[in-house]
Amino acid sequence: MIKTEQLCKRYGSLTVLKDVSTEISKGEIISIIGPSGTGKSTFLRCLNLLEKPSGGSIYINNVDLLAKDTDVPKIRQKMGMVFQSFNLYAHLSVLENLTLGPVKLLGKSKAVANQKALELLKLVGLAEKALNLPDELSGGQKQRVAIARCLAMEPEVILFDEPTSALDPTMVSEVLAVIRRLAKAGMTMLVVTHEMEFARNISTRVFYMDEGIIYEEGSPEQIFKNPQREKTRAFINRVRSFNYHIDNPNYDLYAMNAEIEAFCEKHLLPPRVCDHILLLVEETLLLQTDFSDISLNLAYFEKTGHLEFRCEAAGEPVNPLQEGVQSDDIGLKLIQSRIEDSQYRYENHKNMLFFKVKGE
Amino acid sequence: MPKKLLIVGITIILLITLAGCRENPAGSKLKTLDDLKDKRIGVLLGSIYDEYANKTYPDATVLQYKSQSDLILAVKTGKADAAFFNHESSLELMRKDQELAYVGENLYKVPVGTGFNQENDELREEFNQFLQQLKASGVYDDMVKRWISNGISDMPKIDNPKNNGRLVVGVVSDKGLPFAIVKNNRIVGFDIELSERFAAYLGKELLLQDMEFAGLVAAAASSKVDMIASTIVITEERKRQVDFSDPYYELGVSVFGLKKNIARYENDQALTPEDLENKRIRALTGSAGDNAAMVKKPQLSSPLGDFFNSIKTSFYSNIIMEQRYLLIVDGLKVTVIISLFSVVFGTLLGALVCWLRMSKNWGLQAVARVYISILRGIPVLVLLMLVFYVVFASVNINPVMVAVIAFGMNFAAYVAEMFRTSIESIDKGQSEAGIASGFTPWQCFGYIIMPQAVRRVLPIYKGEFISLVKMTSVVGYIAVQDLTKASDIIRSRTFDAFFPLVMVALLYFVISWLLALVLDYIAFKTDPQINRSKGGIGA
Repeated sequence: MIKTEQLCKRYGSLTVLKDVSTEISKGEIISIIGPSGTGKSTFLRCLNLLEKPSGGSIYINNVDLLAKDTDVPKIRQKMGMVFQSFNLYAHLSVLENLTLGPVKLLGKSKAVANQKALELLKLVGLAEKALNLPDELSGGQKQRVAIARCLAMEPEVILFDEPTSALDPTMVSEVLAVIRRLAKAGMTMLVVTHEMEFARNISTRVFYMDEGIIYEEGSPEQIFKNPQREKTRAFINRVRSFNYHIDNPNYDLYAMNAEIEAFCEKHLLPPRVCDHILLLVEETLLLQTDFSDISLNLAYFEKTGHLEFRCEAAGEPVNPLQEGVQSDDIGLKLIQSRIEDSQYRYENHKNMLFFKVKGE
Repeated sequence: MPKKLLIVGITIILLITLAGCRENPAGSKLKTLDDLKDKRIGVLLGSIYDEYANKTYPDATVLQYKSQSDLILAVKTGKADAAFFNHESSLELMRKDQELAYVGENLYKVPVGTGFNQENDELREEFNQFLQQLKASGVYDDMVKRWISNGISDMPKIDNPKNNGRLVVGVVSDKGLPFAIVKNNRIVGFDIELSERFAAYLGKELLLQDMEFAGLVAAAASSKVDMIASTIVITEERKRQVDFSDPYYELGVSVFGLKKNIARYENDQALTPEDLENKRIRALTGSAGDNAAMVKKPQLSSPLGDFFNSIKTSFYSNIIMEQRYLLIVDGLKVTVIISLFSVVFGTLLGALVCWLRMSKNWGLQAVARVYISILRGIPVLVLLMLVFYVVFASVNINPVMVAVIAFGMNFAAYVAEMFRTSIESIDKGQSEAGIASGFTPWQCFGYIIMPQAVRRVLPIYKGEFISLVKMTSVVGYIAVQDLTKASDIIRSRTFDAFFPLVMVALLYFVISWLLALVLDYIAFKTDPQINRSKGGIGA
């Protein structure tokens, strides 16, 4: 039904979509997830040409959307779109928002369009608001009207562009419920969303987008339970990480500490935990002998609350955690009191240390 | 409503009271003409007197006034100490107004002639022959006797076969007696009879173009009219622009001022009722008490009744006499027509400019930007004259049309930017939603953006509209007789400043108010809050 080949989109020197090739068939419900700024919305907006792609091709029901003689408005009639900011027509009542398209574009009579509109409003639970103006509705109600407005055009596919992102949490569920209902009815849908549970429950397929491509795709099971690629995993587990690199013994300890503190602050880690980390990092560095190439990595698992610290140092294999290597064990004791678990490996000519930092 | 009326009423009363408060402005009284040397001297704009006054009294301040009525008003209100004027017209003035008197009469004589385009020697020759014939037949002497010596202001019947096309003559309808005035909604006077007779001599139908005096020479030079006849003094400067006929009259130049400022009237106790009236008003407002007047005329002690009486008199002389209401009605029509057509034309042009301005094409955008900044940077009066005398110089075009074009162009520059702002204020998401659901960009604009933009632009558009209506008051410059010009003409006849001005002010207010009501109605109609109540479900 929808097919893209090597779709790309650039804004000046910034490449948002690098190379997106995929095929979506009728009845599929695709969730598109991924960090912000990775082209999810751009991809969706390219599909109905709200953004003009810089290259590649798009086929809708085997019609080349980018061909010169294609009647794009006609094709758009069959592709509804629901926006993050609702975009209801402010000067028209709820009912008129639903009937404008069918009357002007599909040539329906006003009476028929009105009747259909009322049915749809009932479906989304807003029949009693038919004569209100959009400004008089809450965010959730507006989005439900926007969905009903799409349905009034009897589309074959609906593109949802972050439909719940602009809503406050109390209103998210009412909108998701309506979308679920459509899913049950077999509507083909593409949903860009940050609601992971929702994506997991309703989709037939999930796209994880990153680096301007569909980085990983699969069934919800695959993507959410067992993601194959690293970025997908980090995203699914909501891992926040911090990296620092040292290449000489005279590194700036205070600058590094400031950055670590900022990271902790950003992810609302308690001051005690932050102190643990600072001490842990400092003591770990004191154990090092070769400062030519040291990579530090802090990973915070938002979902579980875990905090991991990893230190990779080039040089001869030596396990600083072994007792007796150091002249005294004070450093080791300090470290051990602040971790739950530690590991040492020597890989690729690098000494690798793993610590699980103690929580509160 | 009653509140508005009350405010208007209070304003009128204040104006009249203030008018009564005027003080004697002259430091010393005028004895001889030499006393003018450091005074303020009023002259008619574009007349020859300013040069004379400047040369003769280098230390004096020469003030130029647009029309004879403004000039007289300036002297009467003490804005000018004395005024130069042609003797023939001032005769009529002295008959009418007892407050004024001559400082000097018939100081010198100047020849006047009719003017022609320099390419049109043929017509000028014909006029000269006609003039000789007129003088030979004694008709000329009769005209001078009737209009100038006896002050009779009736036009005789002149036979004219009218089978030889038209003769367009530029005149100034508020020139004043005996040369040109408006009587019973018709321009009459010495100059007019002369033109009439010349037209009859040629067998042409006479078409009078009523203009401002300052615009006459330009009109002839740009062939807007065939001939100009408004007691135009022949000067070297004017000769460079137009060719003059043989002089048809020798104009006297006189200086007049307020009687009370002239030394030889100092002991003149013969107060006219009008003088008493003025003194009484002054006494009432407490500026210069004259209890004697109050005692002498105790029956005038009812100020309100007296106020209404003077209104009644003014109303009669300014509106009823000589069917002057026709002037007002015609002027009103012209003002409304120019306003409405300019708004329609300006709005359409403004929409086009707005479209260009919002175009993605850099070139079109530049065109719109240039248009907007130029048109906004030119005063509308200057634009009006440019369009009339330069752009359409050699095209025979109705001046009302020129006014519509000029005001429309000006209006367009302002509203284009208003349209743009209001269109840009509608959030882009709505048009995206429209486009996404299959509307073409134009459908999207028509169904979704425009209805909202119109609603947003209406309040500022209304203000611009009203200011346009008021701006049209300058069309007198290109020979269009609108409401303001009508009041100028009336003032030139009645020498009464307050009543016509206040009346015209009121009329402009009423027009603006009514037009604003129409726009309010549109705003009401486009208000979705109101609309939905009747947009029933089953409809």
